Amino acid sequence: MFDIRFEADRLVLRGRLDASQAARADELLQRVETSVAADLAGLDYISSAGIGVLVKAQMRLQDAGHALRLENAQPRVRAVFHYSGLEGLFGMA
Amino acid sequence: MVPAGGREVDLERTFPRNLAALEAVFAFTAEFLAASGAPAGAAFDIDLIVEELFTDFVKYNRSAHDIGVRLRRAGGAVEMTLTDRDVERFDVTGVPEVDPERYVAERRVGGLGLHLVRKLADRVEYRYEDRTSRIVVVKRLEA
Repeated sequence: MFDIRFEADRLVLRGRLDASQAARADELLQRVETSVAADLAGLDYISSAGIGVLVKAQMRLQDAGHALRLENAQPRVRAVFHYSGLEGLFGMA
Repeated sequence: MVPAGGREVDLERTFPRNLAALEAVFAFTAEFLAASGAPAGAAFDIDLIVEELFTDFVKYNRSAHDIGVRLRRAGGAVEMTLTDRDVERFDVTGVPEVDPERYVAERRVGGLGLHLVRKLADRVEYRYEDRTSRIVVVKRLEA
């Protein structure tokens, strides 16, 4: 089960962002056109496919002078970003 | 020796070659974890390792066969074996390490999954025989 949506001015991700759900995340992330924070408190799982769509969105936003900031990641999810060497890219460091 | 609460368990199943099968793959890992008495904290890493290897087989191998997943608990470790039949050789242990800065700069879409498997695993082996690829990953369970 995976869910991604806007709540107020934040992106909220919940559930499990695996390779079968990455396209859904990508579809919504492509609609983001300005700096935004994403709340990962409810995200229980992420794999490289999920990281990939977040990196893709971040690079597009940074090219336009904006940024995607990831907040409240659970320890295991945060560890995946750490092992990937990508905490700094998303302001998690 | 199996840690307290742990049981020797050896389960094997095959799954269709598509990403939609991941839901069934995760149900299988959950079944294995419950049967083996593995610590709940092990689930994330085992799911991640199995997903990364399974999706690489789906994305890069051309075969008409289903993909095999075997999960075995022996002692204080879990051994994960993914098998793909009638495929070309691709030794995952020979893939260069991912450089995160280059990964971002080059906007690469591949390589990160194997990088994560290597970070999480205690041992990764590749075997190729009779056009069958087998990747064996061993992950020690935390006490």
